[in-house]
Amino acid sequence: MTARRLVELLGLPLVALVLVAAVLGVQVAQGGGTYEPLRPADPCAERAVTSRADGIDGLTERIVLLGVDAAACRLGTSREALTLRLAQREDPTDAEVDALRAGLRDAVRRLGDDGDLPPASELADEALAAADLNRFVEAALRALPDSVVDGALDTEDVLLRAVDELDVRALLDDLDDPDALEAAVSAAVQQAVRDALLDRLRDLF
Amino acid sequence: MRRVVTALLVVTVALVLADSAVVTLALPEILLELDTTVGEVAWVLISFNLVLALVAVPTAWSLRVTSPRVASAVGIAVFAGASAWCAAAGTIEVLVAARCLQAVGGALALLGCLELLVASYGERRGVATWITAGVVGTGLGPVLGGLLTEAISWQAIFVVQVPFAVLAVPAALTVAAPREPPADRHRPAVRANLTLAVLSAALVAASFLLVLLLVEGWRRSPATAAVTVSVVPLAALAARPLARALRTPPTVEVAVGCFLVAGGLVGLAVPPSAHLAWTVAPQVLVGLGLGMTVDRLTERALEQRLPRARHAAWTIGARHAGIVLGLALLTPVFTADLREAEAPAQEAVTALVIDAPLRPEDKVAVAEALGRQLQAERGQVPDLAPAFASLDLDPAERPAADDLERALDDQLERAATAAFRDSFLLGAGLALLAMLTVALPGRRRHP
Repeated sequence: MTARRLVELLGLPLVALVLVAAVLGVQVAQGGGTYEPLRPADPCAERAVTSRADGIDGLTERIVLLGVDAAACRLGTSREALTLRLAQREDPTDAEVDALRAGLRDAVRRLGDDGDLPPASELADEALAAADLNRFVEAALRALPDSVVDGALDTEDVLLRAVDELDVRALLDDLDDPDALEAAVSAAVQQAVRDALLDRLRDLF
Repeated sequence: MRRVVTALLVVTVALVLADSAVVTLALPEILLELDTTVGEVAWVLISFNLVLALVAVPTAWSLRVTSPRVASAVGIAVFAGASAWCAAAGTIEVLVAARCLQAVGGALALLGCLELLVASYGERRGVATWITAGVVGTGLGPVLGGLLTEAISWQAIFVVQVPFAVLAVPAALTVAAPREPPADRHRPAVRANLTLAVLSAALVAASFLLVLLLVEGWRRSPATAAVTVSVVPLAALAARPLARALRTPPTVEVAVGCFLVAGGLVGLAVPPSAHLAWTVAPQVLVGLGLGMTVDRLTERALEQRLPRARHAAWTIGARHAGIVLGLALLTPVFTADLREAEAPAQEAVTALVIDAPLRPEDKVAVAEALGRQLQAERGQVPDLAPAFASLDLDPAERPAADDLERALDDQLERAATAAFRDSFLLGAGLALLAMLTVALPGRRRHP
């Protein structure tokens, strides 16, 4: 076979091979083939959560974010899949409700262990403003020194009690109603504070 | 005068074959305007190709008893009338019926014009002109359709065909062409037609799927998509000079063309982002492949075979049966993949909203607005802009919301791109199968 015949037979195939290899090589090197949607992170892996909000709102957001992670881990699903399921379905299953409550408790404990829970006195003003109390009672409570508040109320204990008080199923029903949500959380926190104070008094006597 | 007549015949051939894919970019608009379903609107495309594939060979038989100029004139007139009917269609059923009639008229017009062009230019140049007009029409169809849809409306695609066709009717009647002798003299070129059919199925991925990815997946306008897919016909023009410069034998040229189409489709399956620039190089590969294959294979199927019209009909049948095969194979794959892509896309969107640096109440507002938008656009890749525009946010939160909107759009583009991947790879597989039909050893002829 002459060199000229060889060029005629192999010239175009070689040019084509080089062109295809070059195009695919550049695309793969630039991330082609991995251009896919974000994969959900492992909910069982520890994740740092932050909030743009301060005070009780910020604390609540962090507890909810960590709580949903922990609940998803318990249910063997992703945080995103669980969130979508809870947001889209009318009636969550008992397993989901139980996992969510347990997840919220895990979240409170984790924040407590990490030293990320503020003392009760830091949250007291905001909690009193949100609570529907008699003006004189509210003024009296505001007059208490921080050390007394912090001595009487342990934030982690109050939050764990509040999680137990929460009607998680009703809360999920009210996801699209911020006022109802706030009222439900506030009621649970007030009840938790009352229970914590009563238990503290019982311990004193 | 002769030049005007032949030019009109060439335009007619290009128009009929452009109609194969001309409506691709108009399908979303037709879907909305005729209030139909995705499955039904696909028949606007399928019906034309299916009927053309089915009636091409029987139409060639009818040319034995009719003069080519009369057949051409009748075919072009039916095609023009059916085009006008398409433009006036008020329901999907009427549009599909009109498209079927368009294909019947188109088949008669295509085969009649072939005879008239041969009568005008002689065998070799007439056939070459007919083939080139068809390839140009097929390549430019989606581009013209997209531009007309964006500039005017989907009806304009059909309306603009009518005056050309109306002028071509008297033009056809002026050409004296002899009726072909009735005897069967050559058998159809099975291998060339088979390669043409399989390759046409593969090319559906480059025309139909790419257009859908651009318009539906990446939410580009029909005009932008039309300009983007014009890379394929432009690159096809460079194919023949390249093959000529290297003096490549025709069989090698066709095999290489199939390989280039396969390579281009793999490239379209793995873009590194949804930037339009990433579709250019793969489309150049597809265009080069198209330019090395379709006209070569059609030439080979027609080469010195008589009756000419019947062999031309086999090539038309093979190409359009291939397109229908491609649509039948690729459509269920990408629709299923699009459905499957919904869950990962929703999860990605959820993750970004949950982790967004927004205040909790703003996150809830964003989630509610997105939920409403997703509900309104169920089954389609959603446009998130209205959801974000409806939000009443603190101006300080706007930059974070804008960042979130961009990130969510990116996730949706990622999901849509990933959903089309398997279909493009299937198209590449079909192109490699077409290459195999070229490369396999032929039947030995005994002396």
